[in-house]
Amino acid sequence: MELQEKLKILSDSAKYDVSCSSSGSNRKNVKGGIGNAAYSGICHSWSDDGRCISLLKILYSNECVYDCVYCVNRVTNDVPRASFTPREVAELTINFYRRNYIEGLFLSSAIVKNPDHTMEGLTEVVRILREEHRFNGYIHLKGIPGADAALITKAGHYVDRMSVNIELPSNEGLKLLAPQKKKENILRPMGQINRQILQSREERKRFKGANTFVPAGQSTQLMVGATKDHDYKILKLTEGLYNSYQLKRVYYSAYVPVLQHPNLPKLINPPTVREHRLYQADWLLRFYGFEAGELLDEENPNFDNHFDPKTDWALRNINLFPIEINKAEYEMLLRIPGIGIRSAQRIITARRMAPVTYDGLKKIGVVMKRAQHFMTCQGKYYGEVGMRVGLIKQFLLPKETKPKTPSWQDRQLSFFTDMAPYRQEAINSIITGEL
Amino acid sequence: MMIYLYDGSFEGLLTAIYEAYYLKDSPEKMIAETDFVPNLLDITVTIETNTEKADKVYNSIREKISPRSLRNVYYAFLSEDPEVGSYIYRYLRLGWKMGKRIDEYLLEERVLAVHQLCQKVNKERHRMLGLVRFQQLQGDYYYATIDPDHNILALIAPHFQSRMGDQSWMIRDEKRDIAAVCFKGQWVIREIARGFIPRFDGEESQYQHLWREYFSSISIEERFNPSLQKKNMPKRYWKNLVEK
Repeated sequence: MELQEKLKILSDSAKYDVSCSSSGSNRKNVKGGIGNAAYSGICHSWSDDGRCISLLKILYSNECVYDCVYCVNRVTNDVPRASFTPREVAELTINFYRRNYIEGLFLSSAIVKNPDHTMEGLTEVVRILREEHRFNGYIHLKGIPGADAALITKAGHYVDRMSVNIELPSNEGLKLLAPQKKKENILRPMGQINRQILQSREERKRFKGANTFVPAGQSTQLMVGATKDHDYKILKLTEGLYNSYQLKRVYYSAYVPVLQHPNLPKLINPPTVREHRLYQADWLLRFYGFEAGELLDEENPNFDNHFDPKTDWALRNINLFPIEINKAEYEMLLRIPGIGIRSAQRIITARRMAPVTYDGLKKIGVVMKRAQHFMTCQGKYYGEVGMRVGLIKQFLLPKETKPKTPSWQDRQLSFFTDMAPYRQEAINSIITGEL
Repeated sequence: MMIYLYDGSFEGLLTAIYEAYYLKDSPEKMIAETDFVPNLLDITVTIETNTEKADKVYNSIREKISPRSLRNVYYAFLSEDPEVGSYIYRYLRLGWKMGKRIDEYLLEERVLAVHQLCQKVNKERHRMLGLVRFQQLQGDYYYATIDPDHNILALIAPHFQSRMGDQSWMIRDEKRDIAAVCFKGQWVIREIARGFIPRFDGEESQYQHLWREYFSSISIEERFNPSLQKKNMPKRYWKNLVEK
């Protein structure tokens, strides 16, 4: 099979993996070698769906022996199959890298024969890249659940980031949709990688030349909308992963309805609004000092479509506001809707020199539309509608959603409600009579 | 209004700032000769660039204000904003009064003006690290053209030097007719003639083809979102991209 055909099949199958980050590693170039890693990460392009392309994201093979119901590559699905050889992947990576198309490689794979066999193949690719091509660009490798610990260890010394995808956020989901995967098989490698990362960090403190192990940390991915797990459950799981596995990132992927199956929900479009809310909440956990239990609870287990999680939290805790910009601690500034990390830091810096004025806040980059309701500036309250939750909600509601009844696209898609499956184009064609 | 005209170079601007401190009439604006539109009411003084004087100002910024401030000034200068000379002049006057804390006065107009330009330049610098597209020429050279809003060529060259150390490359700024050329791990900026036509290697089109193939198959059709794509990767950069 032609390389081009393989690339087409195996990048097409890899696109549902959302992670494309190339940050967190500062691997240096070596003499006679090629490439280095930029700590901040660099995006090289943006595809037609608006997502960043930083790494060459491909599967090593899509010839899978598993039969996970949600997955395009499951063994019973009739799709074109292909496998790269390790050298093909290495060549392609180097040639793309030299042209500055990419920051490095993201290599995943379907389960070929068995987990060990697959992990061996992946490890061979990264070995060729690092040892033969002396490639020092970024490599993100999948850890294959169920693969031997020694294989994971070997691969971990070559790569910058490793990830094991959880995909289904609950045991029931796994049983229903991925009967061959076991929770233990997923968590075991995650625990192992975490222990070895910590161990290698300790070693490198003492011996500068000690081997690195997954220096950019590990990440995982949770699928949103393929099972009936609500946001609270997903966020609690996320919190647990950050706290007990020290994950660098948890990614969420809105389930794209590629297949039909009685165990799968009938969605028309991927639930991207829900995915977006989870990312916002994820940021609140990692950088804003929030806990999952503050944002959602059992009675209120899903995020609001119209308000971001922080605004939603502030509206439910209106008694804590307004907060005085010139006096509040950094942690409290961060809790004001419309103030992000950068503007909170700027406020702290600027007010050491002179009191921050209302106009000053705009210059700093605070989103006044949201922030005005929750703060005072030099003792004065600037909110246009007063401290009344109902009116603030009215004020903040996006204009275009007010008159229109919420379309199926804006709605939080839940597992049981079958929503009227009208696509906008379908409606248009009804109007124009083109059916 | 008293206006100093400098030759458009960074040294020229620094010389003008030096003179502003020693000549009797201090100016209100500093403008590059090429950006200047004559006006009946303005009095202009043309400043001759002098490396020695420029060096004095350069060192004074670093020592009496801060290295960070020097970086801010240089980045802002590369924005090529027509007002940048005046902004830098006002910022530095304040800087020599305030010392290294000047960059903490985030609400002060004179500081803000320079910071904002500096941010714009830095943003484009970072963007361009990803958007440069090399093409392989005959004889194993790599060649890229860019067309940036700001004069960021000298800011991106060190990145490619450390990354592609074993590879000979040239990045050509088509708007400014200059190029960064890297050979055996060393790079310089050269002026380059308009007529230069590169000759591509035979394998080149094959990899471009593969990249385009990858670019289209990695996108999820159900999430098609061209406006987000344009927001992240503005259309003005597309003409130098293989995939667009």
